[in-house]
Amino acid sequence: MLSLNPDRDGKTLILGVGNILCRDDGLGIMAAQMLKERELPSGVSVETINTPGWGLPNWLDGWSSVVLIDAVRMGKNPGEWRKFSPHEVKMITEDEILSLHQPGLAAGLALAEALDIWPEKLSLYGVEPVSTEIGEGLSLEVTETLLNLINIILDDLGKIK
Amino acid sequence: MSKRIEVHHVTRVEGHGDIIVEIADGKIKECRFEIVESPRFFEAMLRGRPYLEASHITSRICGICATGHATASLRASEKALGVQLSEQTQLLRKLTFHGEILDSHILHVYMLVAPDFLGVGSVIPLAKTHREVVLRALRMKKLAGDMCAVVTGRHTHPIAMTVGGFTHLPKISELKELRERLVASRADVDATVELFSSLPWPEFERDTEYVSLTKPDEYAFIDGEIMTSDGVKVPVESYKQVTNEYMVPHSTAKLTRNKRQSLMVGALARFNNNYEQLHPRAKAAAAQLGMKPKVTNPYLNSGAQVVEIAHCIEDAILVIDKLINVGIKPEAPAAVQLKNTSGVGAAEVPRGMLIHHYEIGADGNMTGANCIIPTNQNVGNIQADFESLVPQIIDKPADAIRNDLEMLVRAYDPCISCSVHVLKIEDR
Repeated sequence: MLSLNPDRDGKTLILGVGNILCRDDGLGIMAAQMLKERELPSGVSVETINTPGWGLPNWLDGWSSVVLIDAVRMGKNPGEWRKFSPHEVKMITEDEILSLHQPGLAAGLALAEALDIWPEKLSLYGVEPVSTEIGEGLSLEVTETLLNLINIILDDLGKIK
Repeated sequence: MSKRIEVHHVTRVEGHGDIIVEIADGKIKECRFEIVESPRFFEAMLRGRPYLEASHITSRICGICATGHATASLRASEKALGVQLSEQTQLLRKLTFHGEILDSHILHVYMLVAPDFLGVGSVIPLAKTHREVVLRALRMKKLAGDMCAVVTGRHTHPIAMTVGGFTHLPKISELKELRERLVASRADVDATVELFSSLPWPEFERDTEYVSLTKPDEYAFIDGEIMTSDGVKVPVESYKQVTNEYMVPHSTAKLTRNKRQSLMVGALARFNNNYEQLHPRAKAAAAQLGMKPKVTNPYLNSGAQVVEIAHCIEDAILVIDKLINVGIKPEAPAAVQLKNTSGVGAAEVPRGMLIHHYEIGADGNMTGANCIIPTNQNVGNIQADFESLVPQIIDKPADAIRNDLEMLVRAYDPCISCSVHVLKIEDR
């Protein structure tokens, strides 16, 4: 633990990840914004981040539970979603670590794990994007999924408590 | 025997930079540092936009030096529009600027440079072998980001800075909390200096023309005059006399030169030109690193960044003390005088001297813009370093030559662009 954030102990963070200027890559941000407008269980906070990169351990530090929402290429049909723990899957970091590109979510999670900054519970709701090209607005498929998915996430949070 | 070294996209240098070296029968056939990215057209984007949008648009040139671009942009508009800044505004600008210099330098020396020396491929294995080093880096980076957020509303892409001042002001309690954390971070700074003074910097010397801003009364980061180590001193309005941009076929970046074949900007140039104005703790850091001007080993640009980390922590404490001492007063942004006008803003951003030159019409819309980015200014110098270094290491195996050249490019801290990275997974 970085132990910079003792006030987060026992609490849950929902973290929407993505870039709203790259179409469906912004779905994590949109989902977080929709959740912010809902009544949340006590001890649950919602935040959004664009490119967390190496700063991700600071975001994860101290929370007992973290729920990530992001666009994930899983080979599913566009708009399909899946809940998983980062340990259940092989995250593909491509050449990011070899090059000096600002690292993405997979590299940020790998760094957090290497540092042992890992919440007791960490889950990721991944939604298969239609397009992550430059542009604004989510696809119809992803929008429909989100409307349903935020209710499922809220239900799941209720079960955590 | 022949060797060919090709590194495609060694780093992002305002996009992509490649290394091409070919050696045949002990002779260099090819040796190039290529910039192969597409132009981004920010200057064209500014034309026709209201001057008040310029700092927010140009901040997006870079996600690492967003505050630097916003500051140079605001200074260009303010000089064009005859704006006088209050002392409070100048102090707050300086504080957030220090935050960004710290954020960028910590990212570079710890996450990008240190793995080369500590024998690992990236920061992720480093976190396993040197956990405390990475935790320290993250702690320092968080402090730096919080400095920016307290003053400008968020870590990157400052929202509260505007032409003439600020639209939001920090609370004294926030500044006091930052001050405590800055004082506490001295232990981390000391550990940083100790770590980097123990690293075996590659031996390579090549004198060049070091170019930076300079001010009579302080280590220059915002405003000042342009000075070079070859004795040139001109007002920022005369920047073209020093930058002399030109094109080469193998690069989409414009190169610069002045008295010599190439010039260098960045932390090492600032260190060489303005050493006397560093805080005593920064000078002590330099001594520990074995650095005293003029330092002509470009690998030590990273060393100069460590020195500036010490300087910015100390100067940020002094700035906060001044702000706390006089109190934060509610202030509306200073008034502007609209007319057909132009102005040049300059700042020493993490990677070196940045110029924004704006033309603004009487209706307040921009009619022209020219931005000169530090990484571009260094491209010619990296090429000149290659031409000098490769003959010295020509007998090494190709992998070792590649490693030396990659580390050299990295030492210049070429700009890292932010872009989307969609996660991809497979079932185990």
